[in-house]
This record gives sequence, structure tokens and C-alpha cells, in this order.
Amino acid sequence: MPSLVELVQSLVNGVGIGLVYGLIAIGFCVIYNASGIVNFAQGVFVMLGGMFTHAMLIKLGWPLAVSALVSIVAVAGIGVLVQLAIVRPMWNRKAPLFAIILATLAVQLLIEQIVILTMGDQPRTYPDFTPGGPLKIGDIAISYQLFWILGCGALMVLLLTLFFNRTRAGRALRACSQNREAAALLGVPVDAMLMLSFALSAALGAAAGILITPTQYTAYGVGAPFGTNGFIAAIIGGFGSAPAALLGGVLLGVVQSGAIVVVGAGYKNVVALTILLVVLLFFPQGIFGGRGKKA
Amino acid sequence: MTSHASTSTSPVRRGAPGWLGRTGYVGLGGAVLIALLFGFVFVKGGYLLTVMQLAMIYGVFCVGLNFFMGYTGQASFGQNAFAAIGGYGSAILCVEYGLPPVLALLVAMAIAGVAAVVVGWPTLRLRGHYLAMATFALGLITYDVSVQWESLTKGYMGYAGIPPLGIGPFEVEDERAKLVCLMVILVFGLWVSGRLRNSRFGRALRAISTSEPGAAALGIRIPYYKLAAFVIAALYASVAGSLFAHVVGFISPEVFGLQMVVVTFTMLYVGGIGTVLGPAIGAIVASLLPEIVRSTGRFQDIAYALLLLGLLVYAPKGLSALSGLGRPRAAEPKPGS
Amino acid sequence: MALLEVRRLTKRFAGLTANNSIDLDVPEGCLFAVIGPNGAGKTTFFNMISGFMPPTDGTIAFAGETITGLRQDRIAAKGLVRTFQLVQLFKGLTVAENVEVGFHLATRGGVAAALARPSWFRRQEADVHARARELLGFVGLAGVADQDAELLPYGQQRLLEVARALAAKPRLLLLDEPAAGLNAHETDALAEVVQELNRKGTTVLLIEHDMALVTRIAHRIAVLDFGCKIAEGTPDEIKRHPDVIAAYLGTEEAAHA
Ligand SMILES: Nc1ncnc2c1ncn2[C@@H]1O[C@H](COP(=O)(O)OP(=O)(O)OP(=O)(O)O)[C@@H](O)[C@H]1O
Ligand SMILES: [Mg+2]
Repeated sequence: MPSLVELVQSLVNGVGIGLVYGLIAIGFCVIYNASGIVNFAQGVFVMLGGMFTHAMLIKLGWPLAVSALVSIVAVAGIGVLVQLAIVRPMWNRKAPLFAIILATLAVQLLIEQIVILTMGDQPRTYPDFTPGGPLKIGDIAISYQLFWILGCGALMVLLLTLFFNRTRAGRALRACSQNREAAALLGVPVDAMLMLSFALSAALGAAAGILITPTQYTAYGVGAPFGTNGFIAAIIGGFGSAPAALLGGVLLGVVQSGAIVVVGAGYKNVVALTILLVVLLFFPQGIFGGRGKKA
Repeated sequence: MTSHASTSTSPVRRGAPGWLGRTGYVGLGGAVLIALLFGFVFVKGGYLLTVMQLAMIYGVFCVGLNFFMGYTGQASFGQNAFAAIGGYGSAILCVEYGLPPVLALLVAMAIAGVAAVVVGWPTLRLRGHYLAMATFALGLITYDVSVQWESLTKGYMGYAGIPPLGIGPFEVEDERAKLVCLMVILVFGLWVSGRLRNSRFGRALRAISTSEPGAAALGIRIPYYKLAAFVIAALYASVAGSLFAHVVGFISPEVFGLQMVVVTFTMLYVGGIGTVLGPAIGAIVASLLPEIVRSTGRFQDIAYALLLLGLLVYAPKGLSALSGLGRPRAAEPKPGS
Repeated sequence: MALLEVRRLTKRFAGLTANNSIDLDVPEGCLFAVIGPNGAGKTTFFNMISGFMPPTDGTIAFAGETITGLRQDRIAAKGLVRTFQLVQLFKGLTVAENVEVGFHLATRGGVAAALARPSWFRRQEADVHARARELLGFVGLAGVADQDAELLPYGQQRLLEVARALAAKPRLLLLDEPAAGLNAHETDALAEVVQELNRKGTTVLLIEHDMALVTRIAHRIAVLDFGCKIAEGTPDEIKRHPDVIAAYLGTEEAAHA
């Protein structure tokens, strides 16, 4: 039986990883709400964020802030590229849902293989943003990175909320999500909005990857599990608002890391996926029915 | 074909319906080409024999997947899970428990079938993205388990020393004999597929693929038929996994990973989904394509991904054969409207 | 006891009562029509009876058995078969195969039978084949039996859907605007088909906009408006009913204006 300390510790860890899931989940929601597409390649943005930052930080010796920013911009660029080259032509031709999902999966495989060819298949990591730590409260250790994740996560959700509510582009994106045809009739450039949603969502994913890498590692294959966990978080959060998605992520992270204490770390994705299957079993329309039903 | 004996009552029934889809003679020409190719490979031998063997194995997988995706029009991104059950089942049963390969294959198949019922029953009530993600999750779970459960699967390192197929003292060791053996199995799989497609059972599946409301209104038990198609696909996948284990002699989690999903979809799509022979033709053509550009390993996966993306983006009509999924997004007709 | 007995059937969507406490009895052997302006709730009414939508309230009994809340295929298996306002053909199948699917309930055999093809199964398949062609002849589609169903002109698609439903040997057939989009000639052909199968003993419940058609062939008519049943009676009674003239013909004129 795990001790209380172990459980609390796992709770703390769970919040950290959960916030990251939440950020990925928001990425899913942004694209989904703008276009009705679930981008199964969401996880590769996370992987690329970590990989790029590692390359610049460790190999090129650039400062962290620069590495992180350049990575985010670069990954956002890749997101736009995926949208331009693949998703948009399919979307405009009204390709079936299944075909688009398949295409995003193929994109994931493609990017993973390119990463192996160019950067190798070895796992890699870099140090916490703030050296030192962890912060000790009794027997509970809280790594400084967790505060970075918390802070950046909160900041991003705040910025996103402001963006959606206060800016023209944000409001246009929301209009798209409510009714695409009507938005197009009102002169919202729907194509540009789709592109924006991919850029945003890729940037979010990259940020998540950059934040989480110091606490574990990144490698070409981490995309799929991160992507799936993000999707599960999005389902729990109901595909609606950014804070709900973040909350969904935290919920998932906590349950998952609790389970790790019981069954061992190797099975953490198995646990998450089993949670997904169970959730879907009891809530076949998703937890927050209405909106998620379309997913 | 005996399966069309009953069609003789109708004077103008087109050829053998569905065996080749709309491609008709083009497909027939392709089949002839493949036969020639077969002869060539057989005579030439060497590495191409291995390529062809894998094509047959993937062919078995795709013919099964076609039941669920082609005939029934449902998407599963996790059928590789059942191939893994077949592969590891065969490996473990043979190596650890000394079962003869054929028996191991059958036992693994039974396990995969039971797993498909247990997993499919709740999962298949889902639709759209949820179904896609749930099935995708199945594949990921299986992958993680095969990596983590080292005492059973030997983890990343994979499982080596799996005996070749054979009955009693006769083992299929010669590469050419292996190919013939695999071909016979694939042809049997195709025969089953053709017979089922043009029967009461197959018609019900195909009805579901284009109109679930229409099928339900005629008394078709949709959950039952979807599950049946899913289980059949799982059985084929399990056989493919077992065959891979016995023919190659080695399996690892990577064999049944995401690549398998993308590769088999490419094959299904290239060959013509929803037709009887399409999946097999697709498996052969798509296996040979990367060989023609003489690329291997990583480049091969990249070639597949690019090929599939090209097809999806520039030939979206090719997917319209998947009629049930062929509805544009957001245009899910309301039941009964 | 009527074949179909509907009591207080109610369906509410968010902020909209599509069916408001509807009572209806359809006697065995009757050719019953439901009419009403667009959006009156006719299709919703059918959807609940055939199991495609759970009612918010009320009960449905078919041949003395409660069928409220049963799954669609169970209801079909009891002999209550419907067609759809938006045709639901099986597009990848030929015209004949579409009708063959209609025989699903009347036949048996699954995977094992299809593989082994015992003699009873071969006979059954041949029989299904022949009878599908008979039915296609009945609705006048014999000439196109081997075409792809999706290539049929719209009018013939509707007829095919009727033929397919007939294959299921319904005791009660629900037809949702079967004449919509048909030309005068096709409409007449359809009317004849419906009357003929009614004479042969199939009870029919029909949604139709075409007043002339309905008053010509129906034995009894119910009128829905804004989710409520505002009238029921023989065609002559309905034609003279002041509420019907106001609600139904009124909007018709408005639509034509
Ligand atoms: N699934 C649904 N969700 C919400 N509202 C619905 C739904 N289905 C129907 N409605 C609404 O219920 C009302 C009745 O619709 P219904 O389709 O039953 O009308 P109808 O009499 O068949 O009309 P028509 O003659 O145009 O076919 C309409 O206002 C419609 O918008
Ligand atoms: Mg209607």
C-alpha cells in the first residue's frame, strides 16, 4: 500500500503533467471549434517543441528564452504548413471525416520519421528552467519546473481568453466555431481562421512540450501518448472553453499519476487510455454531451 | 464461382458483383499483372521473396480490415492491436509452451476474437471522432503493454526464435514454399470475404455502411452486425500477426505500431476499399512500390506516409467507396429525417 | 382494438414542442393519412412511432403490445416498417440488392450459412432474388434492377424505397412523403401501388402534402398543426373542417403568394 506521502507527491506531479495535457487539450479544442476537425497529429507539436528547444539550447548553446520562442514560432509554422498542404485541400473538397483523421495520422508518422532521420531516435532532456530545487514541504518535493508549468499555463489560458474575447481575430474564430457558413457570409475569412487555429494550436502544443521536457524526456515517439492524453482531457473538458480543457487535463493527470503509484510508471498511458475507454463506455457522447457529441 | 450460382436466374447481372469494384477490367488487368509479377518473383527469388511474403501477410490483414471499413463503412484505427495479439500469442505459445505453430495460431485467433468482442461491444456504440480515438487507443494500449510487460513479451528487444509454420514434422522452411503457403492462406481469406460479401450477412453489412437509419428500419440489428464485422477483422488481423511471427521468426512492438495502421490503410486505399480483391491487390502494389524506388527502413515509412497523403489530398474521390464514411463532415443526416 | 394506438405522444426539443399530446388510432386494414403544414411535426411523429426518437411523454402500442422505447430493428421485426422523407437508399448496392436487404427479417442465416451454403440457404438466396425482382416489377422498376441504386432518378429512388419496405412484409407501413418530388405521372403510379398493397391487406400510415392525392386515396385523415392534432375524420369531413381550412390551406395560400 503506498504511503500518504507517496500519494500526495503523486498528486503534485499529476497536477504538473495534467496542466500540460490541458494545454494540449486546448490545442485540440481550438482546431476542433474552428473547423470540426480533430487533429490526431497534435502530439507531434509537443514532441517538436521539446526537440527543437533541446537542439537550440544544448547543441547550439542559445539562451533558454530564445530557444523556446524560436521553437514555438517554428512549430507554429509547421502547423500552418500542415494546414496549408494537407488539411485545407481536403477540407475544401469535403473529404470524409475518416480521411482527414487518417491524413493527420500520416502526418504524425511522417514527422516522426523525419525527426529520427535528422535528429536521431535517442531520448533527450534539458535541465529545469530554474536551477536548484526541489522545494521541500515536509516530505513532499515540488520541483521548480512545476511552478513554471503552472505560471505559463495560467498565463496562456489568460492570453487565450483575452484573445478570444477582446480581439477581432479571436471573435472571428469564435464566430467560425459557432456557425461556419454564417461566419463566411458575414465576411469572416474562414480559410485564414483555419490557418490561425492550426498555428495557435501548434504553438500551444510546442509550449506544452517545452515546459514538460525537463521533468521527463522527449523523443520522436512521445507525440502519440501526449496527443492521446490531450484528447482525453479535451473529452473530459467537453471541447468547450479553455479553462474547462485545462481542468480536464489536471483531472486526468492526477488520476493517472495516482495510478502510477499503484501499477508502475510504465503503464501510465495504458491507465489513461483505459480511463478514456471507460469514460466513453459510460458516456458514449462524451462527458459533456451536447457540444462533444459532434466530435 | 459457386457463390454466384444463384445469380444465374438473372440474365443481366454484371459479372461478379463487387469482386473488383468499378475498376472492372482495369482491375482485372492489374490482377494479370500481379500474376506475372508473382511468377517473376518466384523465379528470381532473393529479397523480393521476402517482400512478397510480407505483402501476402499484409494482404490477409487488409482483407479483414475491409470487412469493417469497406463493407460496413466503420473506421478502426486500432486493428493492429489484434495483429499484436496474434503475433505475441503465436510466439509465446510456441516458444514458452511448445504448442505446434498451427495450434498456436488458432488459439491466438480465439483470444483475439474474444478480445474483439469484449472491446468492441462498448466501443462500437461510438461514432465519428470518438470511435476513431477509441480504436486508436486500443492500438496504443496494446503497444504500451507489449513494450512494458517484459516478462511476457521481452519488451523493446522483441521475441526471436519463433518456429516456422508447419504440421507435425513438416516445417515450411524454404522461402518459396513459405510464399506459396501464404498465398494459399490469402486466397482462402479472399474466398471467405467474397462469399460473405454476396450473402444475407454481407448485404446487411453493406446496407449499414451507406444508411444506418435505412438498415435499422428494415430490422437489421446494427450493433450486432458492426460487432460481427469488427470481430471478423480482428480474426484476420490475428492470423496476419501470427503469420508474421512464424514466417519472419521475430516480432517486436514496432511491428504492430502506428506504422502498421498507416501502411495498411494505404494498401486498402490503393487497392480499392469495399471490393473483394482490392485489399489484396493494394497490399501487393503498395508493398512493391517502395521497393521500386529502392528505399528501405525509415525511408519506406516516409514513402508510405507521403503516398497516402498524396492519395488522400489529390484523389479524395478514391475514398468515396467508403460510402458510409463518405459523407462530408458536419452533414451527418439526422436519424429518421 | 386498433392496430396502432398512440396515446398522449409528446416530443419537446429545446424550447419547441414538436408533438403535443397526440392521440391516434389506426385500425387494421386502413389507409390512414397524416397531413399538416411544413414543420407541423409529422416526421417527428413517425420518428417516435418507429423508434428513431424517444418520446418525451406518451405511449405507443402496436398490435396490442407497447413498443415505446424499443430499438428500431425490434420495432421493424414486429411488422412496423417505415420509409424516410429524405430517401435512405443503400447507395453502394444495386437496385435489386436494395430490395434483397429488405428481406432481411424474412430470412435467416449468418456467417456460417454464407460460408457453408447448405441447400436451404441456397434456395433462400435464390428465392430472395426472384422475389426482389417480383417486387421491383410491382413498383415498375424491373428494368433497372441491376443498376447502381444511387444512379436512379429521384422519383425511382422513392419507389425503390417503397419496394424495399414491402420486402419486409410490414403489417403497418409508414410512408413519409413518398410522393415528394415526383411528377404527376410518377405520383399516380405510386398512388396505385399504395392502394394496391393496402387492398392486399397492408395497413398504411401515410404522410403527404398533396391534398388532392390524400383525399383521393385515404380512408381517414388526421391533421397536425404546430405539433397538435387539430382534426381527424374522413376525407370529406376534413375538406370541410374550418380549422383545417384555416391552418392548412391558409398556409398553402401564403406559400403560393
Ligand atoms: N432533432 C431535432 N432537434 C430539434 N428540433 C427538431 C428536430 N427534428 C425536428 N425538429 C423541429 O420540430 C418541428 C417539427 O419537425 P418535423 O420534421 O416533424 O415537421 P414535418 O411536419 O415533418 O415538416 P415537413 O413537412 O417539412 O417535413 C420543426 O420545427 C423542426 O425544426
Ligand atoms: Mg417531415
